[in-house]
Amino acid sequence: MAFVATILLMIFHQWTSLTASLGILMMVVLLLHLGLPWLNFLKGLGFACFTFFIIAWLAFDLLTAVVSTLRLLAIGTVFFLFFQTTPPEALSNALLKMGVPYPFAFVLSASMQFVPVLVRRLANIRDAQRARGIPIEGGLSLLTHLPVLAGPLLIQAFKFADELAEAMEARGFGIPGRRFRHEPRFRWMDWMAVGISVVVLVMAFWSPYR
Amino acid sequence: MILRFEGVSYRYPGTESWALNGLDLTLRPGESVLIAGASGSGKSTLCRACIGLVPHFHHGEWTGKVFVDGLDTSQHPVYELFRHAGLVFQNTDAQLFNQTVESELTYGLESLGLAHGEIEQRLNWASRLAELGDLMDRPPHLLSGGEKQRVALGSILALRPRLLLLDEPFTHLDPESTEGLRRILRVMKSEGMALILVEHRLHEIIHDVDRIIVLHQGKIAADGSPDQVLAREISDYGLNLPPLVRLFRQMGLKGRPLSVEDAIKELKDQNLVTPFSARLLEEAKKASISFSRTSPPIIEAEDICFSYHGLPVLQNIHFKLLRGESVALVGRNGTGKTTLIKHLNGLLRPHSGHLKILGQETLRRPVSELSRHVGFVWQNPNDQLFQPTVREEVLTGPEALGSYDPSWCDELFNRFGLISLLKRSPFTLSEGQKKRVSFAAALAVKPELIVLDEPTAGQDELFRRELAKFIVELQREERTVVLVTHDLEFAAEHANHWLVLANGRIIADGPPEAVMADSKAMTKAGLRPTQRYQLIQALKGMRKNKA
Repeated sequence: MAFVATILLMIFHQWTSLTASLGILMMVVLLLHLGLPWLNFLKGLGFACFTFFIIAWLAFDLLTAVVSTLRLLAIGTVFFLFFQTTPPEALSNALLKMGVPYPFAFVLSASMQFVPVLVRRLANIRDAQRARGIPIEGGLSLLTHLPVLAGPLLIQAFKFADELAEAMEARGFGIPGRRFRHEPRFRWMDWMAVGISVVVLVMAFWSPYR
Repeated sequence: MILRFEGVSYRYPGTESWALNGLDLTLRPGESVLIAGASGSGKSTLCRACIGLVPHFHHGEWTGKVFVDGLDTSQHPVYELFRHAGLVFQNTDAQLFNQTVESELTYGLESLGLAHGEIEQRLNWASRLAELGDLMDRPPHLLSGGEKQRVALGSILALRPRLLLLDEPFTHLDPESTEGLRRILRVMKSEGMALILVEHRLHEIIHDVDRIIVLHQGKIAADGSPDQVLAREISDYGLNLPPLVRLFRQMGLKGRPLSVEDAIKELKDQNLVTPFSARLLEEAKKASISFSRTSPPIIEAEDICFSYHGLPVLQNIHFKLLRGESVALVGRNGTGKTTLIKHLNGLLRPHSGHLKILGQETLRRPVSELSRHVGFVWQNPNDQLFQPTVREEVLTGPEALGSYDPSWCDELFNRFGLISLLKRSPFTLSEGQKKRVSFAAALAVKPELIVLDEPTAGQDELFRRELAKFIVELQREERTVVLVTHDLEFAAEHANHWLVLANGRIIADGPPEAVMADSKAMTKAGLRPTQRYQLIQALKGMRKNKA
């Protein structure tokens, strides 16, 4: 559904329809009680939207800027919803079902797990460097002191990847004939979702209010 | 035989020295073995060879044969060996790669291709053994260190290997979690699983093993029952001997007591109770008067409170650190020790209360300014190394603060044995050398206070001795040392002031003997007095009884 929504948002080019779809998305966000995480997510996306808006305004005109910023915001929200409601394991299971080989599907779900681990390491590195008198206070100084942070992080990430690979091998990662405890299945709910998506997509293409 | 090494030699690709050098070894089913040795003696490589990661995963040069449960490891890939021998690695973060604890435990079972019922049965068995019942739905990376260790163990146990290997499992655990893990291992032993444990600190597990193997430069230097091995001259192999054995050796006594009762029995048998206790008490007295609490304060914390996401982490923290003191900060994992030390240089700021350094309020001063006075040596030296050479790495701090003093830095290079390494890249050093670089880097700005975060974790006896020497030198220079540690034996020997933290509050503050005498506080913080202290108390009690 997320992909269909993205295509939809790409083909809408009136600010009214974009605002309307953003409104619908907001309702979904609120229905799923994701208001607070969404605001947090907006903190990150907001800055990108703002710069995008300025650039588009300067390069084209105000209307283009408004439309494309709204579109960016809406697409961002769609993916926010997608990742909030789909655990990485379900995603990799779906990919498996689609015939993607196991190692690829696994890497996708596992790599998302390690984002918080690496973020925590980065926080440790930043503390360690600040404790030596290197003035990393956030904002621009983060950029000027990039090697101070990136150097240790990269080294640790490489080491981590090696250790992870070992640990996976030691639990039979490479074995042929893996059998899943919960076999991923396509249920009627999923078929319904696909059906509705297709119908909406076809309607959108023929609609005059794009 | 569950495990047999026949003349095994191995070296990693691109290295010159042999990690394993002509190793012969056999292990009977159900036997439990402690493998000890200095850093780089080949302990971890031996573990990897048992499950085929060496040579299949690491490649490199290999001769000889290893049989696990009758299978020749060179003929079978790792995914055929892992059901026979399971290894719990040192780094718990890197071996937990699933969404929930439950799927972590199931992963290996899915690899085995087991039927549904069998999976459920083993899942229940392993979760009960590793005491994971209420954690099953949680994501592993949000758990505490001790819990992660249990998940890693559970995920291996579920495979029901006949040989279980644990690589330094106690390194990051507090005393209570250590006891918990020991309890689980005793159950495994009673289930007939063969155990191999790698550890420097012998006393952590010596009571529960049948046999000790000492490795030195990839060879077996000693092999036998704990008592046989302790009887041999093994102090050069980087082992941290059990505290009472060490005490008896220092005093030139015969006997290798592992417990206080053993020690007293030994002393009675040798008819040495009176002279021994007199000597011991005299030493204890000397240690307690060697430091006077009259020097000026360097840190004053007044009523510090700090909360994280609305939860109080530190509450009404109040203490003073004096110039030239060596202070140990002890307590459970997750009780606020790290949060507290991060206040010392402004990485975290108190939500209420005051922290003064050299009499001055710190609230509005930036970290970079406070770091002139407070140096940090973190547990993981890899968190800070980024320069192309060791020399530049050490000089980073002084250059950032504009306080480079050439003669002091030369003195540091000398003190930490870095002169021959100055032009090397810090990334190519061994972990022990990296640790020394991070020491020198922290001291290069001449801080009045230096904080050592778990300095002994994962370090062998050779490093511990060096560390003890460094601490004495720092104190002689009138610098204050703060040790954050679980290693009470080390803290009792090398700190003259203890701060005990429990649930975000300081519940005991004073000289180690006074703190250990406060049994209520010790219990509350999950700590147990050192064996040496217990022995002194027992001897005092005997004297009183006589009188």
